[in-house]
Amino acid sequence: MSELIRLEDLVKIYNTGSLRVLGLNKINLSINKGEFVSIMGHSGSGKSTLMNILGCLDTPTLGRYYLDGTDVAGMSPDELSRIRNKKIGFVFQSFNLISRMTILKNVEVPLTYARVRPSERRRRALELLELVGLSSRIDHQPNELSGGQRQRVAIARALANDPPLILADEPTGNLDSQTSIEIMELFARLHQNGATVVVVTHEENIAAYTDRIITFNDGRLISDRINIAPTALSDTAGALGGRMS
Amino acid sequence: MLIENMKMALSALRANKMRSFLTMLGIIIGIGSVIAITSVGDTMRKMFSDIYQDVGVTQGYISISYRIEEVRDSDYFTMDEMESYKEVFGDRLAYIDSGNSVTGEIVTDITKKNFYFYGVDYNYIDVQPVNIVYGRYLNEGDILARKPNCVIDRASAEELYGSAGAAVGRTFRITVYGNVTEFNIIGVFEKEQSAFTALMTGSSANGEAYIPWTLLTWPNDYIYQCHFFADPDMSAAELEQFNEDFAAYVAKTKNREPEDFYIVTAQSEMSTVDSMLSGVAAAVAGIAAISLLVGGIGIMNIMLVSVTERTREIGTRKALGATTRDIMIQFLTESAVLSAIGGIIGIGLAAGLVSILGAIFSLPVVIKPYVVLMAVGFSAMVGIFFGIYPARKAAQRDPIIALRYE
Ligand SMILES: Nc1ncnc2c1ncn2[C@@H]1O[C@H](COP(=O)(O)OP(=O)(O)O)[C@@H](O)[C@H]1O
Ligand SMILES: [Mg+2]
Repeated sequence: MSELIRLEDLVKIYNTGSLRVLGLNKINLSINKGEFVSIMGHSGSGKSTLMNILGCLDTPTLGRYYLDGTDVAGMSPDELSRIRNKKIGFVFQSFNLISRMTILKNVEVPLTYARVRPSERRRRALELLELVGLSSRIDHQPNELSGGQRQRVAIARALANDPPLILADEPTGNLDSQTSIEIMELFARLHQNGATVVVVTHEENIAAYTDRIITFNDGRLISDRINIAPTALSDTAGALGGRMS
Repeated sequence: MLIENMKMALSALRANKMRSFLTMLGIIIGIGSVIAITSVGDTMRKMFSDIYQDVGVTQGYISISYRIEEVRDSDYFTMDEMESYKEVFGDRLAYIDSGNSVTGEIVTDITKKNFYFYGVDYNYIDVQPVNIVYGRYLNEGDILARKPNCVIDRASAEELYGSAGAAVGRTFRITVYGNVTEFNIIGVFEKEQSAFTALMTGSSANGEAYIPWTLLTWPNDYIYQCHFFADPDMSAAELEQFNEDFAAYVAKTKNREPEDFYIVTAQSEMSTVDSMLSGVAAAVAGIAAISLLVGGIGIMNIMLVSVTERTREIGTRKALGATTRDIMIQFLTESAVLSAIGGIIGIGLAAGLVSILGAIFSLPVVIKPYVVLMAVGFSAMVGIFFGIYPARKAAQRDPIIALRYE
């Protein structure tokens, strides 16, 4: 299986005035294409710092980060923008949908920045909203939807440019337990369809859906284990997004 | 992408309607006042040029200057001299007379009316076209023989005699330079005039009549001034040259310096009006610049607020692949659209106001399309200029900090 992510002695130091905080301490990590990984750890252990670097929103202080074989260090902000647009799909804890825009338009945003034609953009966004079970809501504004529905819009948006890597930083952090399960089942189905998914969580039952659980403490990677028996998907779910409305 | 950005800008502005409107006020007032005053200026310019067109843009008067203390007999004009000017200047001098007129009263069985009797040559109709609605115009014979024939205006003819037809053939007596003279009405004319000229002269209570200028050469055929028309087909430059040449020639034949003769031409009057209006335009440009500056600063301020409010949106867009340029263009489009809409509203208000004023004074109002286009373009440019700083701030936001922003 081919390698998608490779971190070599990666260090992130935050300089906040006089204080220097070690966000990540010599991380070595490799994630292959098609893996379903969860990142666990206490608050402040460096999970978001790692996700920001993996997502090319931030750059490491020391060490190397190869994404899909390319060394990301030293790229310009605009080159990083293009990498994020093409290679990474973000799902945030607080959804970060753009208000004043319909959910259809929200899903189209990454396609717009990829300079996809309007008709093709619309076609693709409709397809993705169907995939997450929100076809009937395309003209709604984000504030007219429930938290779970908003997060499904965000997932559709993350998939827009068919990126090789999906990064979700506590995607269920603002959702109730039933909705959290629905969202994790959606990620699991994306994984079954071949996507590489990295999910940050501090809930065991959420991490239990993934195949590999990596734990951080105080900026260090302290454990990396295979989840031998991931939570089985509920049979009633049927096809992708079938039960989700 | 541009249309996309415009739609986005409109929806962002719609989300804060009141705030957007208040922000636009400076631009609305700035552009509105420019359009209103420019339109008033253009209307006045058109008004003056229409009036001069009607009275003849190539005409002028020349006489010995009022500054000359000892006026000689030779400083006056004789009919022979005036004939010689025609020979010297040929086609360039289309018409010449003494520019004299007298007033008098025509009394009929029905009513009476005051008239201006203008002394003209037979070819006055070529430089001041009128329509003869009944009878005939003065001819060369009338002029040379100093016949007391006259043509009068249609409205007066109808008022005095009941109809234009009834007027022709009538006679009346008036006193010309102390002598009672009996005149025959040989024709009735009607003028074609612009709305402006009609407006300016329509209120005159006096009738108008043309009589041979050879009757108004008192005293002793010495003529105080020359009234002339240059060839109406001349360009402005040719006309200016002609006026200069003519004054110089007249002065030379009378052994005077050119500045001893006083020449007043329609062209020089028009350029006085023009430079006055240009002065007004410059003052307006100053006022406009100040109000647009104020409006622009208002836009900059509100865009800075907007950038701060939408920090999370900016972070999200950057995470989704927006480049610095994409964000920059998004916010620049927004400030340009904001300002351009302000400009359009300003133009609308100004056009409405000026049209109402025009309707009240029954003047055809002039609003030039290129002025409108320039105003819209200029207001958009103000928006872009004052939007640059906020847009740069937005574009340079670090996506992580923007995403963490609450
Ligand atoms: N922008 C930043 N500036 C300074 N310190 C930061 C910044 N981001 C994170 N940190 C610090 O780095 C450490 C790891 O933070 P983070 O990765 O957000 O933890 P987690 O997501 O696991 O809760 C914490 O001590 C945090 O205070
Ligand atoms: Mg975190």
